[in-house]
Amino acid sequence: MATLRPRAIRTMPWRLLGQIAVAIFCLLFLAIPFVEMVKSMIADPQLLARQLLIGVTNGAYIALIALGYTLVYGIVELINFAHGDLYMLGAFFSLSLIGTFSLTTETPWVVRAPILIVVLIATMGFTAGLNMLVDRWAYRRLRGVGSRMASLISAIGISFVFQNLGLLWGYLRFPFMHGVMGSNAVAPKSFPALLPSVNLFAGTGVRFGAKDLIVVGVSVVLLIGLYLFVSKTRLGKAMRATAQDRDAAALMGIDVNRTISLAFVLGGALAGASGMLVGLYNGTAVFDMGFTAGLRSFTAAVLGGIGNIVGAMLGGLLIGIISALSDQYISTKWTNAVVFGILVIILVFRPTGLLGDDTVQKA
Amino acid sequence: MNTRIRSSLIGGVFGFAIALISGGFAGILAGLVAGLINGFSVPQAEPLNNRAGAVRQGLVASLIASVLTILGIVIRSVLIDPVIGTPLNIASLLISMIGALILGIPVCVIMCVIRTEPPARERIGLAIVIGIVLVTYPWLDQFLNLRFMNEVIPVLVFILMALGLNIVVGYAGLLDLGYAAFFAIGAYAAGMVSSPHFGISLSFWLAIWVAAAVAALFGVILGSPTLPLRGDYLAIVTLGFGEIVPIAIKNLDKVTIHIWNYPLLVNFDITGGTKGINPINRPWLPVIGEFSPSAPTPWYFLILGIMLISIFFISRLRNSRLGRAWTALREDELAAGAMGINTVNVKLLAFAIGATVSGLAGAFYGSYISAIFPESFRFDVSVMLLCMVILGGLGNMSGVILGGIIIQFADRLFLPQFSTVVQKLIVASGNVSLREVNFASDFRLLLFGLTLVLMMILRPQGLVPSGRAARVMPTADAEVSHD
Amino acid sequence: MTNILETCGVTKQFGGLTAVNDVNFNVRQGSITSLIGPNGAGKTTFFNMITGLYVPTAGTITFAGQSLVGLKPHDVTAAGIGRTFQNIRLFANMTAVENVMVGMHTRMRAGVLGILANVAGVRREEAASRQKAHELLDYVGLDAQRADDVSKNLPYGDQRRLEIARALATDPQLLLLDEPTAGMNPQETAELTQLIRRIRDERGITILLIEHDMKLVMDISEAITVLDRGTKIAEGLPSDIRSNEQVIEAYLGRGAAAMAQKQAQQGGA
Repeated sequence: MATLRPRAIRTMPWRLLGQIAVAIFCLLFLAIPFVEMVKSMIADPQLLARQLLIGVTNGAYIALIALGYTLVYGIVELINFAHGDLYMLGAFFSLSLIGTFSLTTETPWVVRAPILIVVLIATMGFTAGLNMLVDRWAYRRLRGVGSRMASLISAIGISFVFQNLGLLWGYLRFPFMHGVMGSNAVAPKSFPALLPSVNLFAGTGVRFGAKDLIVVGVSVVLLIGLYLFVSKTRLGKAMRATAQDRDAAALMGIDVNRTISLAFVLGGALAGASGMLVGLYNGTAVFDMGFTAGLRSFTAAVLGGIGNIVGAMLGGLLIGIISALSDQYISTKWTNAVVFGILVIILVFRPTGLLGDDTVQKA
Repeated sequence: MNTRIRSSLIGGVFGFAIALISGGFAGILAGLVAGLINGFSVPQAEPLNNRAGAVRQGLVASLIASVLTILGIVIRSVLIDPVIGTPLNIASLLISMIGALILGIPVCVIMCVIRTEPPARERIGLAIVIGIVLVTYPWLDQFLNLRFMNEVIPVLVFILMALGLNIVVGYAGLLDLGYAAFFAIGAYAAGMVSSPHFGISLSFWLAIWVAAAVAALFGVILGSPTLPLRGDYLAIVTLGFGEIVPIAIKNLDKVTIHIWNYPLLVNFDITGGTKGINPINRPWLPVIGEFSPSAPTPWYFLILGIMLISIFFISRLRNSRLGRAWTALREDELAAGAMGINTVNVKLLAFAIGATVSGLAGAFYGSYISAIFPESFRFDVSVMLLCMVILGGLGNMSGVILGGIIIQFADRLFLPQFSTVVQKLIVASGNVSLREVNFASDFRLLLFGLTLVLMMILRPQGLVPSGRAARVMPTADAEVSHD
Repeated sequence: MTNILETCGVTKQFGGLTAVNDVNFNVRQGSITSLIGPNGAGKTTFFNMITGLYVPTAGTITFAGQSLVGLKPHDVTAAGIGRTFQNIRLFANMTAVENVMVGMHTRMRAGVLGILANVAGVRREEAASRQKAHELLDYVGLDAQRADDVSKNLPYGDQRRLEIARALATDPQLLLLDEPTAGMNPQETAELTQLIRRIRDERGITILLIEHDMKLVMDISEAITVLDRGTKIAEGLPSDIRSNEQVIEAYLGRGAAAMAQKQAQQGGA
């Protein structure tokens, strides 16, 4: 064969076609409603301000959960599917403790505040420990095998196990829990209104209650604490090193398994705190609440750039605000779809998220 | 010897469980099932060489299975039935025991003998045995007064879907968590064109093709932007799609679209909202006439036919240029690209074909229950299908069918029956505190979840590993690319 | 002779790191050309740019008159470039024959409908490709009895051969081999050298080789290009390269080059 045979090359730019398809869809179906939405936002700034503040409160708890996704994904590249359900178990655990300590709206603040802090710490410990055990039992042995799908499927399985545990938790009616679980196992459980509901902006038409402030405040404290831990302490540095290059970290004498456990522990603790805060704030918890929360938080983590801690916080805030606006200006029925739509759009157009770096793709 | 007995126990445990849970003449069916399972599992555990050995083997295995089944029958009739209010009937107990033996032992022995034949004849022989059991089942059901037909048909629908999902997950290695959405799309597409909803009343035989085409179209629409994504992102995006579809179906009942000030649609009902679409046309055939909800047998053969045709075509795809491309993609996406496979195209095909199968299943199901509602295709259905595929063995159709039977059996027959029995026992024992625990619905998620986790940890290649993986030692990396 | 592959000013940057810098490089049609260089010189990156895995930051790559920049890997394969990988990347759970048949993917035409209907054309194509796969396995010297073995169970040397057979199945005009003899013993290396020569001589396929085994490179190549830290430092005939100071320096460090020079001078004196 001495002569060259030039071959015709046909290329189908699927990626581009897909992006164009999504873009056209957005323009066609979302542009007009979006303009309408903006109009109605401008028409009633008070309402907008109220929704934005609700969004900030939502964003605080979403950010707490999103960090769990980001920490774990940053190190082991596993979408910890069960994380949202861990948050739900946190809410159930804290409710059980609240029942055990028989906290009610009557309890004086001198007693109530310290006990709530104790409950918060215990809840964080519970979810942290649970997350670590699950990692040990279900994910660790799949890690070396090299297939990411196996761990992901395992995580989906754990998610269902957690949900079922939450369901069965409803049957726990020990006398010492003072009946917090109600009489129907499957029904939503109600938390006593333990946080003060004074409106800090009374008279302005905008609502931002003391309980919003507490939720945001506690979240911010935890977020700052986590940030300092990861950036300043030795263990935190080991974590970042492991996330960068696991083999190199192991060569430098870092105990990789322990570091991964640490990511699960930290993420779990934050999810537990989030569960308790949301339970107290909304006054209810139900066994399948983890799905929606998990979806929103994962979207937040991806939006911020998965693996990026500050990104998860920013993403949490944005998703919180977006879902609050969607609740008001579109419809609560569509909010999940909106959040998923955002997730798809980010993944299609900018998979590295807002703050993720896209210099080197991990092969 | 040890593995032989252990594999014989598999069928025995099934027989025992069925007999224990469902009482009545179901014990006879239990014997048959136990024999069938052992006919598969015993030669699998230890290859048989000659006929005499096979007969001996089959006898031993089926005896073990039958003893366990009879144990189940006896415990059920002597210990449980009287407590829950059915008096002990010695005659029917004896009939069940003898029936279990008569059906179980020959089936198992025959299958063991068939397995000693050369591969081509072995395959035909197995097909004949299974064919006979499948074809005679409706009459067996009627004869034994089991009334399982209304459960068996949905089971077959779900197995059909699992076979479709297997193309996507098992062959091409794409984790699709929103597969049930295509079922919904197929069902709605068929419902819309063959019901009074829009006044279009196509025959079922046309509507089912519309459903398949629409589902495939949605597969392509969803796939083209998302399939270039990495595997785990794809999983989440498909999950999102699976969530958006029911939301959309539920809320697209009063659609108003203005283009500038010109109203294009005002309060237009696309999907029927929460009340769904109802009634949907049923199929009509000469001789049989219109299929009736009270006579399940034609439905049974219809879905069985759809399933067999699907299996036939899927296996053609599997052994073609395309099927090899799927496997290559699953094993090593980068190398597949370097070997000239257009990875996105091939993934898109897997997605679309998987969606088509699901669309067919949806169209059948909608017509079978003559109605379709938005809530029946949520995430848990997708995960249940995933369970079926993973339990049986990714990428292997007979494994997927077995996995499907086990999961469906557990979910639809075992748990509810178990729950009823336990409830009756609880009531009889006078313990009130446990009375409200519903063992069917309260442990369902745990069943799916534990199946997934345990399979991944203990036996990622599934109960029946795919042919390609079965030739070697079981390994854990059989299912995904290690990129 | 014409050049089958021409690259001009090819550069690849990862973030701040320049892996390949302004490389001009030609492969003559029908030659066996080697690309050598110390570890981390950018050889595999260069390969990956040719085969479409990476898009060059700058520069042009022309193969048989058409530009390859921006093409996807499968398009590059369709255009007529086959490759093997440094760390073997076979489809581990497929048999040897199936692996080779996957290589023929772009040269086959069966579509979904044809497959479903199992039309005569599809059946014929399938049988022909299976036949051809067996021939290719035979050609690279894989035992016929091994043809239906799952590829991950094959011995290491056979896996290397199978990878070459699979690349040949794409019906290439240019074959890129990335360290084909890595991890082989001298005897296997010698056999593989023979095979590479035969592929060129009997099939007229141009070969571009990345290799560390200097003996093999010097033995087989008709032209050699040396990369060091992303830049081309030398090219020419094997004899030129052997005595090139810069090359010795790149491989052995500055002192070694000086010493070699001194020795050469002493020998001359």
